[in-house]
Amino acid sequence: MGAFSMITDNPRPRPRVVVVGLASCFGCQLQITNSEPHLMELLDQIDLEYWQLVTSEDMPDAYDVAIIEGSVTTRESEDLVRRVREKAAHVMAIGACAVTGGVTGMAENALARRVGEVYGDAVPEACGQMIEPRPVDAVITVDSRVYCCPIDARDFATQLQRVLFGSNAVREERALCADCKRNENDCFFNQGELCMGLVTRAGCNARCVNRGRPCFGCAGLSSAANLDSTRQACERYGVPAARFDKALQMFSQVPLSQAGRQGDDEPVAGTAVGKGAR
Amino acid sequence: MTDSVGASPLAVRALTEAPHVMTGQEMLMGNAYRPWPARITSIRELTAHEKLFEFRLTDERVREAFVHEPGQFVELSLFGVGEVPISITSSPTKQGFIELCVRRTGTVTEQLHRMQCGDIVGLRGPFGRGFPVEQMRGNDILVVAGGLGIAPVRSLINYIHDNRSDFGKVTIVYGSRTPADIMFRDQFEMWRHRKDFDLILTVDEPDDTWDGEVGVVTEPMKKLDINPANTFGAVCGPPVMYRFVVEVMREKNISYDHIYMSFERHMKCGMGKCGHCQIGHQYCCIDGPVFNYWEAKNIQGSM
Amino acid sequence: MLYRVMDKSQLPALVRGFMESYEVVAPVKRGERYVFDTVDSPDQIALDYPQTASSAKKYLFPPVEAMMRFDARANLVQDFVQEVKPRVIFGAHACDISGFNRLDLALAQGKYTDPYYAARRAATLVVGISCMPTDTCFCQLMGADEVQFGYDLFLYDIGDKYLVSMSSVEATNILEACCEIAEATDDDRRAFRLATRRHQAAFNPDIPHVEDVPMLMDVFHFDPFWDELGGRCLSCSACASVCPTCYCFDIRDVLQEDSDAGVRERTWDACTSPDFALVAGGHNFRPTGRDRVRHRMYHKLNGFMVNHDRMLCTGCGRCVAACKADIDPIQVLRFFDEKGARDDR
Repeated sequence: MGAFSMITDNPRPRPRVVVVGLASCFGCQLQITNSEPHLMELLDQIDLEYWQLVTSEDMPDAYDVAIIEGSVTTRESEDLVRRVREKAAHVMAIGACAVTGGVTGMAENALARRVGEVYGDAVPEACGQMIEPRPVDAVITVDSRVYCCPIDARDFATQLQRVLFGSNAVREERALCADCKRNENDCFFNQGELCMGLVTRAGCNARCVNRGRPCFGCAGLSSAANLDSTRQACERYGVPAARFDKALQMFSQVPLSQAGRQGDDEPVAGTAVGKGAR
Repeated sequence: MTDSVGASPLAVRALTEAPHVMTGQEMLMGNAYRPWPARITSIRELTAHEKLFEFRLTDERVREAFVHEPGQFVELSLFGVGEVPISITSSPTKQGFIELCVRRTGTVTEQLHRMQCGDIVGLRGPFGRGFPVEQMRGNDILVVAGGLGIAPVRSLINYIHDNRSDFGKVTIVYGSRTPADIMFRDQFEMWRHRKDFDLILTVDEPDDTWDGEVGVVTEPMKKLDINPANTFGAVCGPPVMYRFVVEVMREKNISYDHIYMSFERHMKCGMGKCGHCQIGHQYCCIDGPVFNYWEAKNIQGSM
Repeated sequence: MLYRVMDKSQLPALVRGFMESYEVVAPVKRGERYVFDTVDSPDQIALDYPQTASSAKKYLFPPVEAMMRFDARANLVQDFVQEVKPRVIFGAHACDISGFNRLDLALAQGKYTDPYYAARRAATLVVGISCMPTDTCFCQLMGADEVQFGYDLFLYDIGDKYLVSMSSVEATNILEACCEIAEATDDDRRAFRLATRRHQAAFNPDIPHVEDVPMLMDVFHFDPFWDELGGRCLSCSACASVCPTCYCFDIRDVLQEDSDAGVRERTWDACTSPDFALVAGGHNFRPTGRDRVRHRMYHKLNGFMVNHDRMLCTGCGRCVAACKADIDPIQVLRFFDEKGARDDR
């Protein structure tokens, strides 16, 4: 958006913001509250009209910026994000679930069978009309994204500032390893261990590897990810390529299968699911 | 290598306001990353996407030290949003003011388009190597521009206009997408009556009122009568255009080193450091942006 | 050049001497690898390290560096002073000092001086140490196995002693104050010659010596080799992070939380990043891995040479270890070598 100029002595206009939660653990909304020291400064720049995590009120009818956490898993939430898109000038997807389908996206593969395994024939009504989990941008156009599971509070603040005022800083499309090398971390591959940094979008400063844990790929695939070359690299370092492919499912199941999938978009959920499953 | 090292930390003070003993040149060069405040003094809408901005550097010493060549560029800052390289479209003969023709294509230019006269931006430069006006003196000039490529060559055109007796015949071949996209048309049309000046406008998509050429710039170029011995070419346009334009110029027997092209690259620092604008072994920002065809032929990946 | 010898047992005294007025950074062992880090005792220094994972470039050209503070409301630069810590890089190999010298050419010299780099370089002393090549070292092919300038002291290991090349007053003052040094004897000189020969003989013979590499980079610019090599690129830029001479950077504005002010900072960037050559209109001048890897190698093995008469690559071998896709200058040398061998037949 960048609709507002910072260059002013006067109070800046404050956009009306809503925060919507879809299928997720709500951890990313929680992360926003974790930016405590600066939360008030951030809130000072917007009119927060609705925050699903902290209110039981209904969502207002008019707003400028919609922040969406979570993936689209039902026909109902699909309708919701479409309505949000019609009203908001800017839609921001936050967290892995909203951006790539995230952990919820793992259920994308054989949803009907999984639903049957969990609920048998009696799918609760509260589940709604279940559809294969998908990122928000599979349903509507998304204008900006905050990556990772969960999001980083400072990263969220930066992205929100960019929404408000604009920025020509390039969101890097490269894979993560350069950050890791900058931080002079040991490479897990040198110990024959799998790390998803080879294909994962950079930008988190390798926060997991900095703490001694391999990258799980929560920022999603870099748009320049080279899967074939990565499989070969895995094998060279004694990591079976199949393990890499399996690990990809945790955060990139939806984007990967979207490539091969046709427009099979029929709902498989709600009461109909129980019958069709198994 | 070690000038003065002691127990206390050293400091880079290059960004502090310059003491009064500093010359404007020292202020510009001391830390060439530092943008200097410039006030918007005029804004003219050129097309739906392009505006002509006129700026005046607020510091007198900096303003006087800021002397550019046609074809050079500046880095324009909106702090918090970022910085963009923009070629200077005014002639150095217009002193005290800097004109930039800005297309709305990104966040910085988007915001700039919303600014008003009196607003402050940051400018640093001028950077790069421009058109060799001294060498061009006394010769005919064939200017070929496509789209926004008119911006840097307008600096050259205006320079020639202000030193008219120093140059021979000037021919401008200027291609745009539609008639509404043509910039500085009034100004160019005004010169059309002159015998030593020829303006050929061509568009890809003509409208009902269009009576100029239709199609790519190379077609009208082919019909031109050129004296190759004393003609310099000046070319600027979208990346795809160069190869075809220089081909026609070569067919007209203009020497390799008389064909000058202004290249567009992502010039971030403007000082030959950051690497973004590298073409082969050259830096577009200091070795160019204006290269002659001979140089370009010797740069891997230039065209 | 002035040379003296000092007994190896004096080394801790020399380090402590530097510590009195400088922050000392040196190779230390961390896990399975070696890194340059701040030390507060000579014992922490692992002077016999084979190679560090990353170079000491970070002390002259930090990964993230504030360039200026700005007032976002007024759109003006605020008064800004950056303090530069006087530092000693202790125990740099010749290839890395050569790397500093090449960075000097790119950043400190030419029409524009980068004031941030220049200030750090001026505030940094460099103490070199001789080394033995690893399997991935090819500095001798890149003219970086010996270094004639760019350091303050250089310690050549000649057995029980170091032959010390003294290049600056500051470092010599500290050396003379802290250590007992003597004139080199004929025996010392003989030991130096033998050590140098051992060093020269230890390079990996499987890394081919190829003449006219810059010329070959031009001649084979459109060879399918680059599709194959660049097609493997993971687009991660790990190579640039560990490289002692990659100096490309990005400049970006970072707002403080209230958006009233912020910092313009620069961060390391790399020509292997997918969007590196993207321009405002959306055109990317190097859209593929082939284009980017070839450009990187071209700059390392040709472009810098054309402008500065030396390779930008120092042959330190770090990218060989860092790249998980096996893309490095050695692959390029092998390609040229095989190409030449085929043509000879």
